[in-house]
Amino acid sequence: MCPVLGHLDGRFESADAEAEHRIAVLYQEFGGPLLRHVRKSTGNDLQWAEDVVQETIVRAWRNSARLQWEPSLIWAWLLTVARRIVIDGRRRKSVRPQEVEPPEVDMMSVPDGSERALSAMVVADALRSLSQEHREVIEQTYLRDRTISEAAEILGIPPGTVKSRLYYGIRALREQLRDKGVAG
Amino acid sequence: MHDGVAAYVLGVLDEEEHEAFERHLDACERCQAELIELAELPEQLDELRNAPSSTSGDDPPMSMSR
Ligand SMILES: [Zn+2]
Repeated sequence: MCPVLGHLDGRFESADAEAEHRIAVLYQEFGGPLLRHVRKSTGNDLQWAEDVVQETIVRAWRNSARLQWEPSLIWAWLLTVARRIVIDGRRRKSVRPQEVEPPEVDMMSVPDGSERALSAMVVADALRSLSQEHREVIEQTYLRDRTISEAAEILGIPPGTVKSRLYYGIRALREQLRDKGVAG
Repeated sequence: MHDGVAAYVLGVLDEEEHEAFERHLDACERCQAELIELAELPEQLDELRNAPSSTSGDDPPMSMSR
């Protein structure tokens, strides 16, 4: 399952064996949960998701000071590391024509009856309830795979303003979702 | 600096800023607490990205960009 672990046969120096061991332990602890989460963002592309998990684990091992954090913080950090790797991959995979825009939230049709459709509608509702300024920066960054700088250029406002609006927008979105009972 | 936590958790900072924010995070308990709170919010936003259109339920997320 993990190429990194392919050589636990004593040919390595002890430092390498130690590294292999630490990576194996990280896999054991976080590999499964990470894969379940990452698969959602790779559109169920399992091979891609496994690669992302592997890179996440290796980065975690390289930043071992952060592994001293409390478990909920380690987990939050690992999810963020993995998300970043997915986004990088997505950006590499697609050079999309700038003039073609994805559909607006309102245009997305979702079939009735599935849990996914339900939660997509709840999130869409929450997003619609935000102020225009807040909704806009969420749509123009994360939902379109754009960085703060790229979105700032498109919106014609300073990057610092995008960043700050994103902060308050995301906080407001979280409040909305919490009121709807779908956020912790 | 603290307001970078949202952009960080969404993964939309430039590489340099992303790394700078991680160094800030190492020392900032306030941002650590907010990161924990916000960690799964992007997945909820992904529900919109993944929401299948009525015709192509199994398409990967990129299909929405066309
Ligand atoms: Zn901070």
